[in-house]
Amino acid sequence: MAPGDVYALCASGEDVLMEVADRNNREGIKGWLNPGRYGWERVSYWLQRLTGVGLLAYFVGHIYETSSLTQGPDAWAAMLELTQTPMGHLILLLVIGMSTYHSANGIRLIFTHGGKGLGKPGRPDYPYDAVSLNYRQKSGIWIALILAAAAMLYGASVLFGGE
Amino acid sequence: MAMLRESQIMKIHYITGIAALFVVAAHILMRLIMPYNLSLEYDNVIANYHNMPYVVLLESILVLIAIHGFNGLRIILLELRQSKAWEDGVTVLTIVAMMAVIAYGTRTIIVANGLGFE
Repeated sequence: MAPGDVYALCASGEDVLMEVADRNNREGIKGWLNPGRYGWERVSYWLQRLTGVGLLAYFVGHIYETSSLTQGPDAWAAMLELTQTPMGHLILLLVIGMSTYHSANGIRLIFTHGGKGLGKPGRPDYPYDAVSLNYRQKSGIWIALILAAAAMLYGASVLFGGE
Repeated sequence: MAMLRESQIMKIHYITGIAALFVVAAHILMRLIMPYNLSLEYDNVIANYHNMPYVVLLESILVLIAIHGFNGLRIILLELRQSKAWEDGVTVLTIVAMMAVIAYGTRTIIVANGLGFE
C-alpha cells in the first residue's frame, strides 16, 4: 500500500481502494480565477465569489464603523468624517453594485441548483456545447450585471446628488 | 465534523440569503426616507436604535448576513483545498468568527438602544 492511499471496507467486506493521497486542488486560486474556461459562466462564478468576499469585508467594517455610536456623538462624527468622503462614497457605490450583482446572480444560482433553466439532456454532438450552459443562464448573468449597473447609477445620484 | 449534511447547509445558505435581501432592503429604505446626510446624524441614528421593530430588523440583518457570509467564506475555502484537517479547521474558524461578529454587533445594538450598563 502506497503511503497516503485510503482503503475502506465495502458492504461485502472487501477492501476497496478509495482514493490516492493528495486531494488538494493544486491549481488553487489560479484555477479559481481563470476565466478562460467555461465562458461567461466562469466569469459569473468568480464574480459571485469575489463580490461575496467583498461584501463580507464591508459587513465586518460596517459593524466596526457603527460601533463608534456607543462612544457618543463625537466618536460618531469622527467616524463619519472618515467614511463620508468622496472615496468613502465610491466604496459604497462599489458595495451597492456588488450586493445587487450577488443577489441577482444568487437567485439565478438557487434556481439552477434546483434544476430550473438547465435544459433537457441531449446526445453529445460536435462541438459538444453543454446544454446546461444555455441562453437562460447567460441572460440571467447579463440581467444581474445590468441591475448592478442600474443600482450603482441610482446610488451615485443619492450619494453625489448634493442632498 | 459533520453536524449537518452539506445539502442542509446549502438550504440554510439560500434561505439566509433570500431573507437578508428583504431585511437589507428595509434597512436601506430607512436611509432614504429623509435626505441621506440627515439620516446619518447622531440623533437620527440613535432614534433608529430606540425603535424596537428596527432593533429587531438590525439584529436579524446581523445574524442572517453573518451566517450567510461566513458560510460562503467556508465554501470558498473548501473549494481551494481539501483535507480533513483543513475542512475541520475552516469550519471551526468560520463559526468562531461568525459568533464574534454577531456578539460585537449585538453589543452595539444593546448599548445604542440604552439597555447597556454604560
